[in-house]
Amino acid sequence: MVVAGLVVLVGVLLAPAGSLLYESGGPEACANCHEMGRQVELWSGSAHQEVKCGACHGDALTMDARVHWTNARRVAEHWMGRIGEEPRLGEGQVLEMMSRCEGCHEQEFAAWQAGPHAATYERLFLDEKHNHTRHLMNDCLRCHGAHAEGAIGDVVAPLDTKGPWRLVREELRGQPAIPCMQCHAVHREGQVLGRKRLEAKMAGRQQETHRPGLGFYDRRSRAGVRAGLLRVPKMEDNGRVLRMSADGRQAVCYQCHAPLAGRQAGSGDDRTPKGVHEGLSCLACHEQHRGTTRASCATCHPRLSNCGRDVETMDTTFANAKSGHNVHWVACADCHAKGVPRRR
Amino acid sequence: MKRRSFIAGTAAVGGAGCGRGEGPAPGYRVLTENEIRTLDAWCEALIPADDAPGASWAKVPRYIDIQLTRKFRRLLPRYREALAAMERWLAAAGVEGMAARLELMEQGKAPRELFADGGKDAFEMVLAHTLQGFYGSPRHGGNRDYVSWVLLGVAPVPVRGREQAETGKN
Ligand code: HEC
Ligand code: HEC
Ligand code: HEC
Ligand code: HEC
Ligand code: HEC
Ligand code: HEC
Ligand code: HEC
Ligand code: HEC
Repeated sequence: MVVAGLVVLVGVLLAPAGSLLYESGGPEACANCHEMGRQVELWSGSAHQEVKCGACHGDALTMDARVHWTNARRVAEHWMGRIGEEPRLGEGQVLEMMSRCEGCHEQEFAAWQAGPHAATYERLFLDEKHNHTRHLMNDCLRCHGAHAEGAIGDVVAPLDTKGPWRLVREELRGQPAIPCMQCHAVHREGQVLGRKRLEAKMAGRQQETHRPGLGFYDRRSRAGVRAGLLRVPKMEDNGRVLRMSADGRQAVCYQCHAPLAGRQAGSGDDRTPKGVHEGLSCLACHEQHRGTTRASCATCHPRLSNCGRDVETMDTTFANAKSGHNVHWVACADCHAKGVPRRR
Repeated sequence: MKRRSFIAGTAAVGGAGCGRGEGPAPGYRVLTENEIRTLDAWCEALIPADDAPGASWAKVPRYIDIQLTRKFRRLLPRYREALAAMERWLAAAGVEGMAARLELMEQGKAPRELFADGGKDAFEMVLAHTLQGFYGSPRHGGNRDYVSWVLLGVAPVPVRGREQAETGKN
């Protein structure tokens, strides 16, 4: 009885102590523990090196039983001389960080929230039309819901095309399926030492410089792959190789808005510009978080216009979503079926 | 107790708990600072940096260290032995440099008092793991920043549309 009481008492004291160990002193305290070596090292070469661990991961005063429990267990393992697994965050712990990102990046957060990528698990996994026509499978989680634990069957059920569908874990309903961490790797590999040498190696791929943490969260390896290592595919239009923008940032977009195997522009979810806008980057028109294009036309038009008209009111999907002239691939001949007129 | 002194206390305990001296090198799981230093030089001699990064930059020793707590758990004593032998050899005069020593080991011509079989066994073991660590997926701790894949022209994550979703095949 006394022993049991002691164990409980020690457990209670140890739990927050374990957390404090990680979070109180920030990196110095965390770096003490070898399991975290990799995370600390990555962080110390990241744009967030001035930001303490706790600012993103929460502090010891957070009454998150799970954080305390895992930390306490890890400390106990140290004392018992066992070596812990490399720590991994659960989906809850990752999604919970969103509000902390918001705390420091209010503008970006608001823009993301107003844009398409704030789509929730409910929106993406309970869509009747989609689920009646396409099979639910693990691959869905490659592009949305990448931080979810388990397999597709742990997210949505039943896995058939009849429905009705429900989320296996109701708490995911309102959670974002494409959170900040999908496109931004906070702990990022290899930035301090290798950057210059590596990028010099990537022949033929000019990169516009981008923010260091930009990347794509790869569910299989459970890590962000930085944008410089992602590819903008070589796209074709009926056998003709298209001119592609050198903007390396759009490689992130291509991971999800991807073409089918033939690499034909416009296949699958692809939007590679051809026609009048061939060679432009997605981000030349789409605002990075909100996704909007409203303000973009004015950066090139009317300076670069042929028709002497206001492009914003011309017959494209910009002015009217139902237009037959998709702004991504409209060509002169689409509007000038009888040949392009002479400039007056 | 005031929060500050409590924190100071746990930090001190933490330092002791995480172990220095005989314990693993900072940032590693099992191998000590000395062992890591030797292993690092060993791996780097097998895949040296030229105009591209080598095994050391790619964190091959980290891969081996992590795997020594998992897949290669059984091999820990053999590693310890081999690294200790190499340390002793490096301290002794005679041969110049790591690469020359590894060449001798490959031919089984290392001093028999250090390696019973002339070093062939240890050479093959570290070589196999160095290649795995350099060319394997970074998720296992090596191939930092996909360095070898970039050199080989392999995309870390390919661009692949959701075609399977439409046919229902998977
Ligand atoms: C700017 C916010 C931020 C800071 C600062 C930060 N982290 Fe993280 N950390 C994250 C995010 C986001 C993840 C989730 C994985 C990912 O997307 O990279 C993460 C993941 C982790 C993981 C789990 C790795 C995994 O694969 O799940 C550990 C361990 C960790 N961090 C430790 C630390 C330590 C130790 C520090 C301080 C040295 C620190 N973090 C500082 C945001 C941060
Ligand atoms: C290659 C990445 C990728 C995969 C795999 C993928 N999606 Fe998507 N998903 C997208 C993109 C990109 C969009 C936005 C398409 C657009 O608006 O052009 C999207 C849109 C959606 C939508 C909104 C409606 C629609 O159909 O456009 C739903 C619902 C959805 N996905 C569910 C799923 C499910 C369920 C799976 C698994 C069967 C899946 N997705 C697999 C990338 C992917
Ligand atoms: C779909 C991908 C995507 C998502 C999701 C996303 N971002 Fe971004 N973010 C980008 C891109 C692309 C850039 C532009 C990078 C550049 O210019 O180098 C960017 C840039 C940024 C920058 C740098 C801005 C600047 O002007 O310096 C911050 C900060 C940022 N994002 C924060 C966030 C936060 C916080 C979230 C979540 C609320 C988030 N992002 C979600 C794609 C994304
Ligand atoms: C305590 C404040 C703080 C928190 C919390 C925080 N950041 Fe940052 N973030 C910063 C600072 C400071 C910078 C550096 C600004 C600069 O480079 O000009 C930065 C830079 C960035 C950048 C641009 C640089 C890069 O690495 O690409 C991105 C993207 C970003 N943060 C995303 C995030 C995300 C995602 C989270 C939540 C996991 C987060 N931040 C949490 C303060 C914070
Ligand atoms: C992680 C996967 C992913 C990445 C990366 C991604 N998207 Fe998306 N995007 C989606 C999904 C899924 C939707 C559909 C959301 C919905 O229908 O609710 C979408 C929707 C959009 C939409 C609005 C579509 C509509 O029907 O209105 C635009 C525009 C867009 N994305 C542009 C981009 C750009 C530009 C980038 C690169 C900076 C990018 N996306 C990166 C998955 C992604
Ligand atoms: C020339 C400017 C321009 C470029 C370049 C561009 N877009 Fe768009 N995009 C638009 C406009 C305009 C719309 C119509 C809706 C709107 O105004 O937001 C749109 C709509 C979309 C939509 C919603 C569905 C649709 O087709 O209407 C997606 C998804 C999208 N773009 C993705 C991309 C991706 C991915 C890239 C890069 C491969 C890209 N866009 C490049 C201007 C552009
Ligand atoms: C980064 C520069 C750029 C941006 C941004 C851009 N365009 Fe263009 N656009 C061009 C160029 C260049 C041409 C002419 C191509 C040629 O001469 O072959 C063009 C041509 C056009 C044309 C054909 C008519 C004409 O006068 O040439 C239309 C319509 C058009 N753009 C619509 C839009 C709309 C709508 C937007 C905003 C969503 C937009 N563009 C944004 C570069 C841009
Ligand atoms: C979205 C439809 C659209 C596209 C795309 C388009 N045009 Fe036009 N263009 C028009 C319209 C409408 C007019 C005015 C009526 C007319 O003259 O046919 C016009 C007029 C013109 C004129 C006569 C201008 C003048 O001064 O009278 C020229 C020259 C012209 N276009 C060239 C081009 C070229 C070159 C391209 C491709 C780079 C192009 N257009 C793409 C719709 C388009």
